[in-house]
Parts: sequence; C-alpha cells; structure tokens
Amino acid sequence: MAENSGTDPAVETNIEENAAASATIIKVTVKTPKDKEEIAIAEDSSVAQFKEEISKRFKAKQDQLVLIFAGKILKDGDTLGQHGIKDGLTVHLVIKTAQKSSSGSSQTSASSGPGPSQGNTAETADPSPASNLGTPEGSGPSPTPTQPPNILAGFGDLSGLGNLGMGSANFMELQQQMQRQLMSNPEMLSQIMENPLVQSMMSNPDLMRQMIVFLYSNFNILFLLVKTMELARNPAMMQEMMRNQDRALSNLESIPGGYNALRRMYTDIQEPMFSAAREQFGNNPFSALGGNTDNSGVQPSRTENREPLPNPWGPPDSAATTTTSGTASTTSSTTSSTTPSVSNPLGISSSSLGNGMFNSPGMQSLMQQISENPQLMQNMLSAPYMRTMMQSLSQNPDIASQVFMNNPLFAGNPQLQEQMRQQLPVFLQQMQNPESLSVMTNHRAMRALMQIQEGLQTLQTEAPGLMPSLIPGGMAAGIPGAPLPTGVNVTPENPPPSGQGPAPAPTPAAGTNTAQQQLMQQMLQMFAGGNASTPTPEVRFQQQLEQLSAMGFINGEANLQALIATGGDINAAIERLLGSQPS
Amino acid sequence: MADRRSFNVKLFIYDLSKGLARQLSPMMLGEHTSIVVYGEEYFFGGGGILSCFPGGTILGMSDSTVDLGNTEVPRDLFQEYLSSLRESTYRPEKYHLFEHNCNTFSSEVAQFLTGTKIPSYITDLPSEVLATPFGQALRPFLDSVTITPSGDNGMNGYGQW
Repeated sequence: MAENSGTDPAVETNIEENAAASATIIKVTVKTPKDKEEIAIAEDSSVAQFKEEISKRFKAKQDQLVLIFAGKILKDGDTLGQHGIKDGLTVHLVIKTAQKSSSGSSQTSASSGPGPSQGNTAETADPSPASNLGTPEGSGPSPTPTQPPNILAGFGDLSGLGNLGMGSANFMELQQQMQRQLMSNPEMLSQIMENPLVQSMMSNPDLMRQMIVFLYSNFNILFLLVKTMELARNPAMMQEMMRNQDRALSNLESIPGGYNALRRMYTDIQEPMFSAAREQFGNNPFSALGGNTDNSGVQPSRTENREPLPNPWGPPDSAATTTTSGTASTTSSTTSSTTPSVSNPLGISSSSLGNGMFNSPGMQSLMQQISENPQLMQNMLSAPYMRTMMQSLSQNPDIASQVFMNNPLFAGNPQLQEQMRQQLPVFLQQMQNPESLSVMTNHRAMRALMQIQEGLQTLQTEAPGLMPSLIPGGMAAGIPGAPLPTGVNVTPENPPPSGQGPAPAPTPAAGTNTAQQQLMQQMLQMFAGGNASTPTPEVRFQQQLEQLSAMGFINGEANLQALIATGGDINAAIERLLGSQPS
Repeated sequence: MADRRSFNVKLFIYDLSKGLARQLSPMMLGEHTSIVVYGEEYFFGGGGILSCFPGGTILGMSDSTVDLGNTEVPRDLFQEYLSSLRESTYRPEKYHLFEHNCNTFSSEVAQFLTGTKIPSYITDLPSEVLATPFGQALRPFLDSVTITPSGDNGMNGYGQW
C-alpha cells in the first residue's frame, strides 16, 4: 500500500516493507508555500525517512527540506510519532533555496534616507540594482536570502501602506519601477522587510492615521476643494456661474410650487447631509437654519428682494432673515437651500457653506491639517494607489458613484447623488490632472483657500451689498477673497477673451440647466485642462463643432458637451456621441 | 537553526470599524490582522507581504492581541517561507478584499508557525459580509478593484489591509 517507490537504499525499502506490516501507513499532507502534496508514510517513520519521501516528491534535496509541525522544526532524528503527526494532519515544508550568503549586504539600508517621511530618499537613492548598497543595519540577526537588486524596492513594496506617509511627487514613478523589479525578483521582498528605512517610514502613525481620514473623506473634501480652485482660478467664471444659478433659482421660484420645492430641497438634502456632517464635525450649524425654513411658509414675493442677504459666515440666526427672500440670490427662500444644480452639486448655498461645511470645527481642523501638513496632501495625492483608484473609478463611473453615494454625507439625497454622478467623470479626470494635483499639494494653495474663506467673511461684514453677486453659489468656501471684488466688476486676474466677464456666459437665462451644465463643464474642463484663461467652449471648440456638424452630428448641444468633456478632442468626442446613442 | 530557541508569536488584531473612517466610508470592513514574531509585524496588503516593527503600520498599535504560542521556526527559515509565499499565493496582485486578504495571510502564517489558527470570527468575516445585501452590492466594485504591481490599474486594497 505504500506508494513509495522503492528507494535506493535497501534499508529504507525494508523499513517500508516492514512498516507495511508493523505500522500503519498514514497520509500526511505536506504543505509548502506553493503547493501541497499528500505523502503516505509509515506512522513510525523517522523524520529522515519522511524527508526522503518528500525529497522525491518535491524534487528537492533532503537537506534543503525543513519540516515544521505545530511550530516545531522536525529534526531528522525524530520520529513522526514523537511530534504527534498522524493521519490527515498537515506538516509545513520549507524548501531552502541556495543561500546567498550575505544577509545584510543586501538592500535596504541603502536608501540611506534618514528620516522616515523622507520619501525623497527614494528618489535620491540610486535606483539601479545595486546589490550591496549598504550595510545590513537591517533588522534582524538572521540573514536575508537574496541580494536586493534595488533598495528602493522597499519603497515600492510599501505601496499599499507605506506610500501614505512617504513620498515625493516622483514617488509614483519610482514605485512603479520598483514594483516591476519586484515582480521579476520576488526575493527582493524579503529584504524589503528588513529595511530599517522601511520600518522607520512606518513609524509615523499619526500622519498615517490622518491619511486614513483623508482617504475616506477625500471625495468630499477634494471635490469641494477642486471646485474651489476652479473658482480661484477664474473668478469671472464663478461670477457668471453664480449669476446663472441665481437666474435659475429665480426661475425656479416663479414656478408654482417652486418655492416649496426649494424648501423641501433644503429639508431633504441639507438636513441629513449636515446632520451626517455633524456626526463627524460636531455640529450642525444648519439646524437653526432648518428651523427657520419651516416658518417660511410664505410664498416668495416675486419681486426682487432688496434686503441685504444675511451674512453667511455670521451666526446662524442671521440667516433667518432670508427665509422669505425671493431674490435672485442663491440663498433663495430657505436661507441655505440651493438647487443642487450642476453648478452647485452639493446644493449648498454660500450661506450655509460659510456657516457649516467649511467653518465647522471639524472641517476647519481638516483644512488646518491640510495646510499644515503639505506632505499629507501631497503624499496622498501622489500615492500611486490614489491614482489607480482614480483611474479605476473613472473607468467605472457606476461603481464610483456607488461608492460615492454610499458616503453618508450624500446619503438621503438622490438629487445630490445624481449631481455627483454626473460630475464624477469630470471630477475624476480633474483629479488626475497633474496640475490640479499640484495645486492641491501646494500647501500655500491650501492656505490660500483658508484665506479666501476668511476674506469672504470679511467681505460679508464689510460690504454686504456686494454679497448678492458674490455668493459663491455654494461652490465652497475657497472663494478668492482678493480677486472677488474685481471679479464683480469684470476683469479678473485672467481676463478671458470671450465674454466671460461681466456679461453672463453664453448661456441664456432660458436654458438654465443647460447653461449651468455647460458652464460647469466648462469650468471643470478648464480646470482639468489646466488652462485658466480659455474662452467659452463654443468659441474654443468652434472648429470642432463645425467639423462635427459637418460629419453629421447635428445635435450641437450634445456636440458641445462631448467636446467639453473630452477637452476638444474630436475623436474622443465622436466616440462619446456615438456611445451615447441608444444601442 | 541549531538552537531550539522558541519565539513567541502574537496576532495583532486591528478593529478598523471605529471613528471617522467608518463613518466616511462603507468600505472599511472588519478587521485587519497581522502576525508579530521575531520582533516584527508581518502582514499582507496591497503591496504584498510586508513587515514593520510591531505597531508600526499606519494603524498604530493593535486593538487586541492574541497570543498564538511559540514557534521553533527560526527567523531565517521564516523569511524563506515568506519569500516562497510571496512568489506564489501572496503576491501583491493576489490581494482580494474579501477572499484573500490580510486575515488569510495571518491565518496561514499562524498555522505555519504554531499549528494553531487565528480566531475564526476574523476569517469568517468576509463571508458574513458577502452574505449581506450590502456586501453583495459592493462586490462588483470590489471585484473590479484589482491590485497590480504596475500600479497603473486598480487600486491597492486599502479597504482592508
């Protein structure tokens, strides 16, 4: 019954034969990291005999085999019974590869990088496969098997976690390189673990913990921040957007029942949203506002409300005065409610935003952290997984939207989710735009955002009359305070060639949704394209539009949107147009 | 390998479902585990099998620890074992949030080192989650999340390391 083929030494054979007679054959599973085999052996065999069988089966030399059972190394002289190895049990096997001498010399250390967060060392260190880059300051007493072709592999290998705290902008490329090398030489990995630098890099748990928070809130924060930056880049655009939004809102209000719809919108959207935010950030500044909305059961006056809008950044109760406003301002009827339109995806009016989202202690602390931890943002954004995540999400917009929607901040607001969903592809594209990334990693930019917010606050108190047109339409707190006043009067920092200045964007009041969408997309596109002073899409893509219509795509609207989304790339736009056709 | 020193093996369990992380993302599921032995913490994540000093990951110190006993396996042998694992079943791209994650690794390594398994509630977690509607809804997303060494596609599974 022993399927053990006859071994060379007759002794063994005899033993086996005897075993058949004198002891039961047991089937022991021998498991290596790579596979496992069942080996039948006599119960009273010695470990040496067992190893012999194993060496045949696994095609390895006996002295390369190391057997482990229940945490014990099986010595040749022991017997299976001594260790309690019975039928059906599993013994672990490690086949020792030819040892490459030096434990230490390999790898790591090499990175020489002093500090853990000095991801830069990854850059500076010589990426070429230098096996003996440094002394084995590493870890352990025991030698590591192979030479590390690349010390930087240590960094690359930490892609999952280590990135978080490390890295510079070039980290990504490095890591990819590392990973490639790693794949070709897996043994490197073991040395990576020994890398003291690697270990020290992991030694900043606080930073890392912050990263987790940012990771999970990134969609919210980053999205808002990105929007903010768009505004910062083109205040005139923002102004136009606001105007359009105002227009849209006023239209909305004039619709019968529109006012109620707005009010409902607030209750449905913002309450849960900011209640959710409250959990995180500790307060719901809108609760007071929400209470006011209930009082405002009055229909809008349908005339322009010339009252100054409340100070959105002031105390919450001041918002109460606007409950019945039927102004063209975005605050509309319910203080903080705003149609979650395309241009205002979060449905937050400036007032509420000022009070809430970005002024809440939690958010502020986050912003604080962002600006104080430039590395944080930069690391997060430059981490490859972030990119890959963005890419995967942009490739799977549905999935991305699912994930996004499940975020509690957006829960309970289908409209908002819809908005987000629409925004997602462009947003994701933005996120991948290196320029936007660089802006966000620039802590000065972050600081500027905070200043913007403060500036707006100041502006509110200093010049309340300016507010109606200065309300950022809920885009985020990061509205440039400085350029804003000028923005009101047209010439922003980047005077857009086409009529983006004072005149409302090429969007008629009638087609507000379309207009806003265009505007929004244009803004997003501009941001994604990194060009702050581009003309309106129609002008920019005029040539492409003509081409498209010559090709037979007669839907100018769709053409324009496709062009905006693809940044003017005709071929991609065509694909979009074709893809959107029902088929 | 000559000496029969014995090394203590511990299992670090991190409860990921606390605080902001959970509120902000439904993706955080269950627990992360790692094996601590030879004064180092070993775990499996998006970057493959990694190690650091105990408590050195971004998660900080573990929330709870299970003592798995002792092993005679010396460190260099363990390293060999790990390198074999890295080439086979625990390559970075093999990471799967539900089915082949850090807990899978911890379980296997624990089994190798000590012959004992890690508490079953940890290893059973993924199947429990998958049994819920929520888990099933997430599944397409998770399945689409692949971890590739090239770093260009997919996402390193930061949901559950």
